[in-house]
Amino acid sequence: MIILIQILVILVALAIIGAVLVGKQSHSARAWKKIALSLLAVAMVVAVLFPDTTNKIANMVGVGRGADLLLYVLTLSFIGYALNNYLHQQQQRDQLNRLARKLALIDAINRNQKKK
Amino acid sequence: MVIKDVAVIIPVYNEAKVVRGVIERVLKQFKYVICVNDGSKDNSSEEISKTGAYLVEHPINMGQGAALQTGIEFARTLPVKYFVTFDADGQHRLEDAQSMIKELRKGKLDIILGSRFLGSAPGIKASKVAILKLAIRFSNLTSGLKLTDTHNGLRAFNQHVAQTMQITLPDMAHASEILEIIAQKKYKYKEIPVTIEYTDYSRAKGQSIINAINIGFDTLLRKITK
Repeated sequence: MIILIQILVILVALAIIGAVLVGKQSHSARAWKKIALSLLAVAMVVAVLFPDTTNKIANMVGVGRGADLLLYVLTLSFIGYALNNYLHQQQQRDQLNRLARKLALIDAINRNQKKK
Repeated sequence: MVIKDVAVIIPVYNEAKVVRGVIERVLKQFKYVICVNDGSKDNSSEEISKTGAYLVEHPINMGQGAALQTGIEFARTLPVKYFVTFDADGQHRLEDAQSMIKELRKGKLDIILGSRFLGSAPGIKASKVAILKLAIRFSNLTSGLKLTDTHNGLRAFNQHVAQTMQITLPDMAHASEILEIIAQKKYKYKEIPVTIEYTDYSRAKGQSIINAINIGFDTLLRKITK
């Protein structure tokens, strides 16, 4: 039974990384991220209202305690979030750089023409 | 004899102490010198203004790769045939740039890269050699090229490369990126031996070992996401 959770965690980890990396910023990718986030929020509410459910699910997949399962889910979500953020930030930096470059070039070319 | 069909592109970041001397040395041999001041915090900008070089000012610090790209885009507006990238700290020799241009004039190659390991680098630190060797293996692996020096700032290329090169990685990772572009766009390339003259000044400004991790991570991530 222990193998089940190991396979699950690894598969989900790969899926998150794959989704984040390949997904780019298409509409559907963004929609899926929102769905995942909402599901996570719902799961959180359920886990607080019915503490037993996490234990039950944990036992089903071969984890001893619900708390452990929560930790796995949280860690995976965090990795997905961090990667997503890093890529997004790089994309924005690239856009900012292009904008700044354009400004720098316009400014330099203007100065040149004045010199002449 | 001043060469008039070559643009020398020099990215500048906090090099106020030396940049003027370097530019003046280059201007003796090349008519067109373009300095991209990458948001320096010192008075590099004033120092560049005192010379006859073109000055392009990044409004913010964007990294050396971004500065090179800006320099290339500005140089496209000049009446030149060839382009040279040159470091602002004075570690490159003009003779080497000249021999690269000679090589390009034969018309068979698109881009010439400098290699300190084919040539020499007196005063290089052992730790620097170790990092570079690692970087070379890594870059050859990610780009599929076979080079002896992958992180050398001295390069020369023709119009075709200048018009099609698009560097997106802003920091030092651009060195690997340029090699990937060479492989991808099938530029005809060649390495020639160059001498790097390390001074206490240039040594102090070198890349740290830990930054290699940043470069490696970004390069790999980019390969996966592309």
